Amino acid sequence: MRLVLIGMNHKTAPLEIRERLQLSCGDDARSLTELMRLPEILEALCLATCNRVEVLARVADGEQAVEGLREFIYRQGNLEREELGRCLYVYRDREAVRHLFRVASSLDSMVMGEPQILGQLKEAYRQAVDNRATTVLLNRLLHHAFRVAKRVRTETGIAGNAVSVSYAAVELAKKIFGDIEGRSAMIIGAGEMAELAVKHLVSSGVREVFVVNRTFEKAVALAQEFGGSAVKYEDLFDQLVLSDIVISSTGAPHFIIKGEDIRKVMVRRRHRPMFFIDIAVPRDIEPSVNDIDNAYLYNVDDLQTVVDGNIKERRKEADKAEKIVEEEVGTFEKWIASLQVVPTIVQLRQSVDSMRAAELEKSLGRLSHLADKDREQVALLTQSIVNKILHSPLTVLKESSQTPEAGVYLEVTRKLFNLADPPAGKGGNDGRDAD
Amino acid sequence: MIAIVLFKAALAVYLVSAAVYVASLLGRRVLLARFATGLMLAALIIHTFSFAAWWLTAEVGPVIRFREALSLFAWVMAIAYLALQLKTKTRVLGAFISPVICLFMMVASVGLGGTVVAPAMLRGTLVTFHVILSVAGEALFAVASCAGLMYLFQDGLLRKKKTGGFSRLLPSLGDLDRINHLCLLWGFPLLTLGGLAGSIWARIVWGSHWQWDPKQIWTLLAWGFYAFLLHQRLVIGWRGRTAARWSLAAFVILLVLLMVGMPFFRTFHDFL
Repeated sequence: MRLVLIGMNHKTAPLEIRERLQLSCGDDARSLTELMRLPEILEALCLATCNRVEVLARVADGEQAVEGLREFIYRQGNLEREELGRCLYVYRDREAVRHLFRVASSLDSMVMGEPQILGQLKEAYRQAVDNRATTVLLNRLLHHAFRVAKRVRTETGIAGNAVSVSYAAVELAKKIFGDIEGRSAMIIGAGEMAELAVKHLVSSGVREVFVVNRTFEKAVALAQEFGGSAVKYEDLFDQLVLSDIVISSTGAPHFIIKGEDIRKVMVRRRHRPMFFIDIAVPRDIEPSVNDIDNAYLYNVDDLQTVVDGNIKERRKEADKAEKIVEEEVGTFEKWIASLQVVPTIVQLRQSVDSMRAAELEKSLGRLSHLADKDREQVALLTQSIVNKILHSPLTVLKESSQTPEAGVYLEVTRKLFNLADPPAGKGGNDGRDAD
Repeated sequence: MIAIVLFKAALAVYLVSAAVYVASLLGRRVLLARFATGLMLAALIIHTFSFAAWWLTAEVGPVIRFREALSLFAWVMAIAYLALQLKTKTRVLGAFISPVICLFMMVASVGLGGTVVAPAMLRGTLVTFHVILSVAGEALFAVASCAGLMYLFQDGLLRKKKTGGFSRLLPSLGDLDRINHLCLLWGFPLLTLGGLAGSIWARIVWGSHWQWDPKQIWTLLAWGFYAFLLHQRLVIGWRGRTAARWSLAAFVILLVLLMVGMPFFRTFHDFL
């Protein structure tokens, strides 16, 4: 196997460099065609997202190809070689497989466990397939990577819990209400984090959104954005009776919602639960609201604590995920190794078979007095002798493919049976030439 | 005989199911909980067959004594839990309910296969109704209070912003409250009808609906608690913490009656 993965990610390259590369690599069809024109490249795939730009290729000759790929990246980035060179990493063979698996499982992502990367990788693969840039090995490798990603997702909790404040709010709402489908939400004031939380809520099934603002026009404008309805500030408490989830993010210097208010609201809404999210600093909602039955209050620090806990949890899960990746790299290597002995096995069979056929023909010429049935019997006899003789060497070869001595066995077999050199691009080292 | 074998088999499977449930809770594995649910369903089926066998082979006509009642109690709990499982995503509830089921089954298994010597006044359709309905109602209350207990855990954790670990395993507050509500809603009429059947029977046997028997008084007290709770729930919209606490308190009254009260009071109602 000669696999090369060259690229950069958010850890090795600053944003300015990544974005320049991404611009040109983003246009996949064109860059893929250019890639495939490079002399040593047999298969290739180009992955460009906002956090990484990577080229994965199966190459005929290691060093020359790596240089070619480097040149390709320099051209794409249109940047100083030195500057770009510092950001690049090159992985070969086993390392490349591991890196790809880690990327697919979102272990290498900026936000570990985020699900987008898998979709992006699938899209990149689709592009490559559309452009006929992949064949047997990359196809197999990519499908394996998708499987690994799925395994990591189902067997570990790496993607389990929210790691952004706005999404943590949605998860908490689900913990409180069970199902937030059909619930209503209210946003008081405005602000990026609050609006993001409302968007998440709406996409999770919240039916109605009420927008409250001291300036009614602002409320109307924001309401349009969410397809919600604007509410006058004076009607805040009446509207609270109808709101299950309340996100507050005003610039008010004092509490605008007090415990006493909510007690009254609670009676009017027959104690249906309420979830308050106070994103404002200084706070909008009196902390005593959290002591009221069926009312739950989280401020921005609480949400951050939740998120921090979740991140810690994900780290723990990541260790499990790394083990899965390691295991799968092993599985893939086994497949590659078995691929190595296949040409030799085929050749050996063909060679012996053709010998048998030739000898049989010669002998049968001299045995013309035999009946058809007997001639068939003789043919069968030669076949079974050949099978018996080949059985043991073929078994040993297949088994040896999983051991480090595979090369020796191949070599000896070729010598003993006087086989020609294998077709180019398939044999070779066992994938351990380090960078 | 066959009924006893089936009963023991059911108990064994319930025990395994409870163990797997607890393991899933401690190991935080949903897959295990799913497996445990399957086990519980299997146990329930075996348990049902054991009832059928007991009913069909009873020599003197089926008489529900203490241990049959306990077994019935466990049976209704299992059915209620599995039915709720279909409606809500609350697999973890099993880790709380299955040990209770096992406890009742184990108590029921004491003196298994003894000869049936039932007083004459315990034979009759009305008594059977009385026992089946009351026990079913109480079993549903047991499920309600399990859900209530979990609700209080989860509520406390969410209020203290401890959302990691244990809180993640517990069902959502909404689901727990709904289970509590549903079980009360179904359990209350059952217990009421059971009580009515009993008092009508009492009139036939003792000539009076009401005996001022400690057990009767105690049961009426618990019934009153439940009536009040259900009323508050339906009329004022009580829910959440308050409802959970009340359903727990009412169930404790019932338990005290069943486990502690009985040996100490002299009661007409001393057979169950």
